[in-house]
Amino acid sequence: MTEQDAPRKVALLANCLLNQNAKVCEGARYRSLVSPVVEALRSRGYLLVQLPCPELAFAGARRWWAVYEQYDTPAYRAHCQRLARAIAPLIERHLRRGDEVILIGLDGSPSSGVRFTSSKPDWGGRPNRPEDDWEIVPRRGIWIEELEAELARRGLPALPATGWALDMGRFDEAGSRRDLEQFLDGRESSAR
Amino acid sequence: MSADARGWRVALVADTLVNPPERARAELPDVLGVLDANGYGVLQLPPPGEHSLLLAVIADQVAEYAHHGYAVVAIGVSGVPGDGLHWRSLAPVLRNRGVPVPPRHILRLDLDPELELQRLAALVSSYDVPIEEQRRWRV
Repeated sequence: MTEQDAPRKVALLANCLLNQNAKVCEGARYRSLVSPVVEALRSRGYLLVQLPCPELAFAGARRWWAVYEQYDTPAYRAHCQRLARAIAPLIERHLRRGDEVILIGLDGSPSSGVRFTSSKPDWGGRPNRPEDDWEIVPRRGIWIEELEAELARRGLPALPATGWALDMGRFDEAGSRRDLEQFLDGRESSAR
Repeated sequence: MSADARGWRVALVADTLVNPPERARAELPDVLGVLDANGYGVLQLPPPGEHSLLLAVIADQVAEYAHHGYAVVAIGVSGVPGDGLHWRSLAPVLRNRGVPVPPRHILRLDLDPELELQRLAALVSSYDVPIEEQRRWRV
């Protein structure tokens, strides 16, 4: 079997894990990319596939902060569905050739959350909310919901997934790193 | 939330440079390392092939950056179709969105990797939008 034919390990990454410029204003914790995530994946032999950023192209680089409920609209879901159709062929190609594909989202994000998203049903109107008055709830973000729906529509299996906890209110890099490494190494040991 | 750390610079990067094939790893400089050191976020381009919808989605993102004070460059590599940049498809879409076509830097595999790394670092460390644009947006 040649290098090209051998099954590979592929990590789908939330856009901002490679590009912190995609974050909402005041949300960028790194200058460029989230190096602990990139290092953890590359050192374990994963290829990286960056997902599009749904919020940037929809609400812009200077968008307000928002929670799940504010993005839960037909127009935003249709936008996410278009993005999912754009990236799904690449993902499908990997899965059909037998590659191991995982998803690393952004926990706490209204769009890219995997284990958690941000919620506050009464957010709206003039953006004068106090800091940290949203809640973190165990739920996918809207973009991840729509991406998974598109993959299911294509008959593809659900992807093992976790999130880098950047948008959980108070960011703990060391804890996030341990969490990600446990997820990755747990997959390695269960595969042996 | 703490103060924002973004670098205000974005690089469109050929897939081969994000995911170097094992056989070419020794010949290719660590592009992500150079970009990280210089404050560039990465917009990864797809591998060679037909990706018109995905390129349109990427162009939407580039337009948003280019219109709001972010510096955008493109980094390709020789020996890959279209230098890995999909430029024939991407450039017209960018023009349609009113985006000045970003400067392109092509890494050459036939040259010394160390010198190529220096050439790349020289470009990305010095490139930025005009100071008036920076003052307008980066507040």
